[in-house]
Amino acid sequence: MRYLLMMHVPPGDGTYEHLHWEPADWAAHRAYHERFNRELADAGELVGIQALTAPNEGKVVRAGAGGVPITDGIFPEAKEYLAGFWIVDVDSPERAYALAARASAAPGPGGAPLDMPIEVRQVMAGPPDA
Amino acid sequence: MRYMMMMHAPRADGGYQINDWSPEDFKAHIAFMHRYNKELVDAGEFVGAEGLAAPGEARRVRAAADGTPVTDGVFPESKEFLAGYWIIEVDRPERAYELAAKVSAAPGPRGAPLNMPIELRQVMSGPPPQDA
Repeated sequence: MRYLLMMHVPPGDGTYEHLHWEPADWAAHRAYHERFNRELADAGELVGIQALTAPNEGKVVRAGAGGVPITDGIFPEAKEYLAGFWIVDVDSPERAYALAARASAAPGPGGAPLDMPIEVRQVMAGPPDA
Repeated sequence: MRYMMMMHAPRADGGYQINDWSPEDFKAHIAFMHRYNKELVDAGEFVGAEGLAAPGEARRVRAAADGTPVTDGVFPESKEFLAGYWIIEVDRPERAYELAAKVSAAPGPRGAPLNMPIELRQVMSGPPPQDA
């Protein structure tokens, strides 16, 4: 079964908070993720991974009259926003939760675990039949 | 440039509202999505897409002090919920906005356009530099 693990981070000023971290803290954070990703890949559990640019560059789009795009900035009111995600292929939901907890505990300033909320959503096996 | 297009769908109690639609309306919606995906593929703009299981099955996970997972199953406050996403490859942001508007207008009950909010986020082209 496949799961989407979504990493949510605090919005701050609409840019990524780690831009204000000490370089050593950021390097440690990235090294943690690189290790985690390699372990997922080695275990055959990694399906995909993407990182997103900062929320102040994001847009919400709706179709207006005639299908014309209406674009809006996104994030002033959000408490947290999506910074990136993994898709993992695992045998049980518990394994997905265990992997999410690993991602959650990535180190932040001073090496303390961030304990970020990771949203875990099962990916559908295929498109529904029309 | 790559974008992630996130489709936020209105939710009913624990499930997707679409589950309460008439079978004809549901079929028309799914047919729209199949057509839309095919057009993206034919245009070389399709990178990937996934549909997600219903909100009632979603969990939030954090690491406890000892690293064990703490799961929380409720999102009571959200009126909209991520139902699925696309990753698209386009030449410019305006093209991403057009594609998002098109899927925003997917048909709902009695064929009326849903005009769902589609969150559009650019995907990073590679890992951020060490000194970022």
